[in-house]
Amino acid sequence: MLYSAFPHMLKTASKLYFCAILPFILLAGSAAQQDTQPPLASAANDFVQQILSRSGSPSAIAVTFQNISALAPDAVESLQNLIFTAFRNSGIRLVKAEQALAEVQITFSEDWQGYVWVASVKQGSASQLVIRKVARPQRTTSSRAPTLTIHKATVWQQDGPILDFFQDKQNLVVLEPGQLSLYVNDSGQWRPRQTLGVTHQNEWPRDLRGRLQVNGGQINVFLPGARCSGNISPPSLECRTSDDPWPADQGSLIAFFSPRRNFFTGLLAGQTAGASVPPFFSGATWQSNDVRHWLFAGIDGRVRVFQNDLATAPTTLTDFGGLLAAIRSGCGSGWQVLASAPTDSTHPDSIQAVEIAGREALPASSQVDLSGSVEALWTSGKESQSVNGVLQSQATGKYEAFTLTVSCNQ
Amino acid sequence: MKRLLLQLAAISSLLLLMAAAGRGSSRPRYGGTVRVLLHDKVTTIDPLNEEDHPASRDRLAALSFETLTEVDALGHVHPKLASSWHSDQAKRVWQFRLRLANFHNGTLLTASDVVASLGKSNSGWKYTVNDRQTLTIETPFAITHMPELLALPKYAIVKRLPDSNAGTGPYRLTEWQAGERALFAVNEDYWGGRAYPDAIEFQMGASLRDQLLERQLGKHAAAEVSIDQLRTLEQANQNIVLSRPADLMVVLFLQPDSVGKPGRKPVDARVREALANTINRTAISNGLLQRRGVPASGLLPQWLTGYEFMFPGNSNLDRARELRADAAAFVVITPIALAYDLSDPLAKLVAERIAVDASAAGIAVQPYGELHINSKTARASLNADAVLLRLPLQSVEPSVALSAVADDLGFSDSAPTIFVPAILGATRQEDLFEVERKTLAGYRVIPVAHLPQALWLSGSIHNWQQLMTGAWQLDQLWIEGAR
Repeated sequence: MLYSAFPHMLKTASKLYFCAILPFILLAGSAAQQDTQPPLASAANDFVQQILSRSGSPSAIAVTFQNISALAPDAVESLQNLIFTAFRNSGIRLVKAEQALAEVQITFSEDWQGYVWVASVKQGSASQLVIRKVARPQRTTSSRAPTLTIHKATVWQQDGPILDFFQDKQNLVVLEPGQLSLYVNDSGQWRPRQTLGVTHQNEWPRDLRGRLQVNGGQINVFLPGARCSGNISPPSLECRTSDDPWPADQGSLIAFFSPRRNFFTGLLAGQTAGASVPPFFSGATWQSNDVRHWLFAGIDGRVRVFQNDLATAPTTLTDFGGLLAAIRSGCGSGWQVLASAPTDSTHPDSIQAVEIAGREALPASSQVDLSGSVEALWTSGKESQSVNGVLQSQATGKYEAFTLTVSCNQ
Repeated sequence: MKRLLLQLAAISSLLLLMAAAGRGSSRPRYGGTVRVLLHDKVTTIDPLNEEDHPASRDRLAALSFETLTEVDALGHVHPKLASSWHSDQAKRVWQFRLRLANFHNGTLLTASDVVASLGKSNSGWKYTVNDRQTLTIETPFAITHMPELLALPKYAIVKRLPDSNAGTGPYRLTEWQAGERALFAVNEDYWGGRAYPDAIEFQMGASLRDQLLERQLGKHAAAEVSIDQLRTLEQANQNIVLSRPADLMVVLFLQPDSVGKPGRKPVDARVREALANTINRTAISNGLLQRRGVPASGLLPQWLTGYEFMFPGNSNLDRARELRADAAAFVVITPIALAYDLSDPLAKLVAERIAVDASAAGIAVQPYGELHINSKTARASLNADAVLLRLPLQSVEPSVALSAVADDLGFSDSAPTIFVPAILGATRQEDLFEVERKTLAGYRVIPVAHLPQALWLSGSIHNWQQLMTGAWQLDQLWIEGAR
């Protein structure tokens, strides 16, 4: 047994583990649909073999069932038939209790992780117990029909935290707290190519955030108090202590990030160098109908909307989460903001598109419910036509990198 | 029509957004003091000191003292003070590598510190310091889930100094009034990054009801709630968090069959079995526990193992009367003195209900309140025949949870070579079932109910994680309105 704090060392193992449990997820899911897939038959067969090996393979047995789990009656019936078949295929006669050499009481039970099949085998005064765990299927959620549709596409999943990522047709680059992982497209599958260490002097702050930018194969990584640069090909990365400002969006908004916290200090750089706003978690800027908009999700829970001038009093909104990213959709005014919900990591998050119209933020789409908390949301693509996000699943604890795009509903 | 629907959709979405207004951002914020009301009065935060309310002690201790490993809300084990580990094939020799971390007094955490601390937690293991950051633990028998075991609070790493104890945790104890108040200030140099709040303050022995009456709850972020308070709070749309029914309420007979205390005879095994048959667990769960608890027939709950249903737990008065009559033919049946925790109103109600149920089979049970029943030392000095205990579930790994229950019940002390290796070395669920079955067979332990732990949370607190077991994980805690 080996465990490491460094998740990259576990990736292969976790994938193997997932492969190992996948049949059971499928079989449990198929059980609910009364679909007798081969893996379910295999699990039933294994269970029956365990029962027979403990009971010395009596030639004639009586089998009874009870269900105290959430399995639907039709799924139970399907399972019962598979178990009967497995007994018969093993040469066992299924008889009434009076004629049986052994009585087997099978209970479909469950624990917090999945289904538990329990067989109590009675032979005279002796009794044996066989317990087998079977994974529960994962539930899927459906979303409502939106007015402006947000499309979510999963890019990558892993056990360890993801801070940011970049993908094009050939490369996937994943920024993690201790490393940059490079993957290459191999017939539609991301194959590990290289892992580059991210070195840093100070302890990372909690709620570590990071920004990854890749332009023409050149890598730039921004982390609290550190900056790394390198290349995809040949893979290289060098890190140094740095207080350089970060790109808060696709390049128009550049701001200084606190080296020991999880927010931008409020001091801006780049085109707006010298200007400052209250400290913020995320920000966005865009030009629409000759008006420049700035949005900042402040650490006080308020979103400040500036128009044309950062020196004038902003409009304040209080109904957003801490993460927002602008997206160029071409719908409506041409730009929308994708915003996380005002929730925390104990609740599933959601994303909604809003349109900034004057002093108001109008919903432009339905909420897209997510399976966990959003950890990062950054505008991406050359024309800011997509948003890269990272969430941590509440069900599995895994981190998921995803992209969001929007389409207009005509 | 379509336009009207779109407008309605927009308005309802806006209302949904506005309903969340004031809850602020999802990104954690730094600063502020989190004030918590604790029901119990904690007298020590050293995980190895005996304490009447060990679960509450462990909640405080976890802020300062850390374990080598931790188990998350999904039951996955993660590194904490240990950065990596591995074992031999037999699961008897375990090597741990430590991360770089400092104690609150500024000294570096070393393998020697860990060995000194673990040596006090478990003197039956052999420890070797390999180098400054690496140590080996050798156990006399296989421990299948050693990383999960080391996540238990009793294995927290404590540097015991002459005048104080130092930990490595995200907070350090700065003010302490035993049984009254504890203030933990944030550890700015914590290896995992500074925690968000500046401080966490606990007020102990406080009644939520009193606070509600005094309208003082506003300054508090969280408060422990008993089951009988839930209905009122829920009707007032308060934010209540319930764990799974994890705590075990159990009757434990104090005298072993072999040796009784002077002046007190062990209760006859047939009478104990008769008592087990009288208890109407369903009525207790549905009535006294307001359907928040579930009847218990095993030591570990059904939701954890999936096999608790195999243990009989239905009341059977005819069988109880039969057993009592059988016992009466051989021994004089005296009333059973049943002690319960005086500070727990729910325990009083359950004990009284047990007495009523027992009387239906002609068994006299005399419930009475005691101030100290939870520690083994306190129980040793009791004059009761049995105690009604509420034991927390300490792990979601069944073998670790069962070993902890056996330890709490004193079984691992009375037969350490039988219970502990069988439980911790178990590789199949069937093995654990068998240990549990044997433990329950003598009726020295009678499970009554599994209960949840309940918590009231203010709208300003975020990321307060109550695990399935009822334990708190305050790692990512932050509070609204702080800067």
